[in-house]
Amino acid sequence: MGTFKTENPGNAPVWVNTDNCKACDICVSVCPSGVLGMRYDSKSTLGAMISIDNPESCIGCNECELTCPDFAIYVADSKEYKAAGFSFAKLTDESKARQQSIVDNNYMSLDVKGVK
Amino acid sequence: MAFNYDKYLRLEKMPTLWCWGCGDGVILKAFVRAVEKMGLNQDDVCVVSGIGCSGRFSSYVDFNTVHTTHGRTVAFATGIKLMHPDKHVICVAGDGDALAIGGNHTIHAARRNIDMTFIIINNFIYGLTNSQTSPTTPQGMWTVTQKVGNIDPTFDACALGIAAGASFVGRESMLDPKKLEKILIKAIEHRGFAYLDILSNCHINLGRKNKMVSAMDNLSWIDSITMPKRKYDTLTEEEQLNIFPTGILKQDTEVREYCDMYKDIQDAHQNKRAKITQDDFAKKI
Amino acid sequence: MSDLREVVSSGNHLAAQAGADAGCRFMAGYPITPSSEVIEMMSDLLPAIGGVTIQMEDEIAAVAAAIGAGMAGERTMTATSGPGISLKAENLGLAQMTEVPLVVVNVMRGGPSTGLPTRVSQGDVRQAKNPSHGDYRSITLCAGNLAECYTEVVRAFNLADRFMQPVFVLLDETIGHMHGKAMIPTAEAVKAGVVGRKQFDGAPEDYHPYECESDQPAVLNKMFTGYRYHFTGLHHDKNGFPTEEIETCRKLIQRLEDKVMLHTDELELNEEFMLDDMTGAEGEVLIIAYGSVSLSAKEAIRHLRAAGIKAGLFRPVTLWPAPADSIKKYTDMIKNVLCVELNIRQYTEEVERVSSRLDIEGLYKVNGRPISPYEIVNKVKEVF
Repeated sequence: MGTFKTENPGNAPVWVNTDNCKACDICVSVCPSGVLGMRYDSKSTLGAMISIDNPESCIGCNECELTCPDFAIYVADSKEYKAAGFSFAKLTDESKARQQSIVDNNYMSLDVKGVK
Repeated sequence: MAFNYDKYLRLEKMPTLWCWGCGDGVILKAFVRAVEKMGLNQDDVCVVSGIGCSGRFSSYVDFNTVHTTHGRTVAFATGIKLMHPDKHVICVAGDGDALAIGGNHTIHAARRNIDMTFIIINNFIYGLTNSQTSPTTPQGMWTVTQKVGNIDPTFDACALGIAAGASFVGRESMLDPKKLEKILIKAIEHRGFAYLDILSNCHINLGRKNKMVSAMDNLSWIDSITMPKRKYDTLTEEEQLNIFPTGILKQDTEVREYCDMYKDIQDAHQNKRAKITQDDFAKKI
Repeated sequence: MSDLREVVSSGNHLAAQAGADAGCRFMAGYPITPSSEVIEMMSDLLPAIGGVTIQMEDEIAAVAAAIGAGMAGERTMTATSGPGISLKAENLGLAQMTEVPLVVVNVMRGGPSTGLPTRVSQGDVRQAKNPSHGDYRSITLCAGNLAECYTEVVRAFNLADRFMQPVFVLLDETIGHMHGKAMIPTAEAVKAGVVGRKQFDGAPEDYHPYECESDQPAVLNKMFTGYRYHFTGLHHDKNGFPTEEIETCRKLIQRLEDKVMLHTDELELNEEFMLDDMTGAEGEVLIIAYGSVSLSAKEAIRHLRAAGIKAGLFRPVTLWPAPADSIKKYTDMIKNVLCVELNIRQYTEEVERVSSRLDIEGLYKVNGRPISPYEIVNKVKEVF
């Protein structure tokens, strides 16, 4: 049963609802700055689960939230986030490169080797 | 705080029964966002779906919902709409649902230009029943009913909608949810039959045996066969053969909507206006 | 007599008028002989009172639109003939499963297939019992004279709302196209007799459309009134959502059966013509007939009695569910039973079933011609 945590659990720019994630890799593939990755999880669909590895690189583009078919990942509302005194990161060459590595690593988090 | 999807979803039904990475979920999300942005009252919206993976769409959203028989979505919706011309009726069907078994109803609902939004979730296959050929499955692809390769020619769903007389015809895919949301808003706002061909990925049924094993492979393929209309119009005919134009392909706000025209019939019977004659119409044939 | 009025009309026109008078505000149909006059008439009647009549692109779309309007909460109707019922079958099943009220007028013609489009038969009686797949119970009424083309359609609307399912009204082509005088209730009397479907008026969160007593129909609130729920043809739970749970599925289908079969007293309607002096004595003849054939049967009975043969007619008006006890009362009492139908034994087989008798005589005709009183008289003299 989904719980749809649309409230931000902390001050994160992006957060996930692991009850809903089916580990389809789409959010990882659309993130421009290597924020996300999949990790092994023996109890979930496909044996993997989304993990927010580098939240500090999140640029707030919202692509992950919009392309997630299962309401499993959320991005803070830009106006509210800024009003609360936080800000999203900027896209850097480093984060772009890290994203490419994650894609090459079959969308798994970089410290996890292998395929799903 | 993020966007409040909870309000529009039947939370106890989640997570969806769609496969991991299925585009239907993205379309569902875009639709919910569109409804929220338009500020529609949930009690004023009716979502009618057919049979297929797309048919499950209606059970996930908290509106007045109807899950009908295969292909007949717009026919049921016509009865609902004619009794409540001021409410929002949205129909969701699959490619087989809308273009094969439901082809006739699709054509005539478009012809009548009755005010509803028809979302055809086109994943190029019969998904729920496991990989049979649909009217949009590309020739040469593998399907369970044509394992040595599909010979059936395909439809251009939007060309069909335009020819049948729909006053709003558009195509998007779940590749760009922002554009999808925008076209949904325009389609729902349009007073007339809004016909949308929304390309979706079915990597589990279509993709896996056709060299597109993951959702992303399928999405790349959809990316390679779509192009915004403005750019598409600059291509040669040969280049256009394997590309679907996306965006709003037709929008006619002048043509009259069916419920509005039916009001004229009621008025004529109640002696509030003269009988309707050919002079009332520019098109006389 | 102030509740009655005398009109000169035809069966099909009376059926249409009945719909309009009984509160029907949506009719969808498709042209098919011999029922086309119903949609023609309704295309004038309904828009004049703020309703909608639409000719859809095919029979399937017509019943779908009608069911859609029923889902939206309106009294709704469709009219067709045998081939149209065949086409509508799947969606009729959806209406049964979702418990949407609907009146379906079938003006029967020669079948099967294209058959005899302009000629009479009663060949759709068996079909009306089970037009669609699966387990459910049909409610089928049959008009036996001009006035009943009106009164049975009115009754059908009330029954559809009471039992929350489609109700068939069978006319045969003879009665549908018969033109003459009829005494029918006034529109005011009909309106006063309308009993609409039950509605739930509590809080939306307490509303469970398909949670009901095991012999009661669903309570389906009108659409767009603040009660949001789901219609589906799949087996469903109390809120209308698909389920495969063992007990829920069993209870649902059993309820579809019991909501009709445990309340047949509300459905049964028969005409017993010249049966009150029957005692079971030697030589008495029971004729069972319905629809236009019953008119010939009554005339035949007058001739038979004049010739000294004590005959009477049992005419079921509600064909399905069959009036088992009432039929059995007479078939137990009277030895000579003749079923007369414009088909081959379709209702006779039901009479055999409820009477536990296999010696029922029959007069059947399937060539599109009516059965005359003369033929019935001769058959009685021949077999009894």
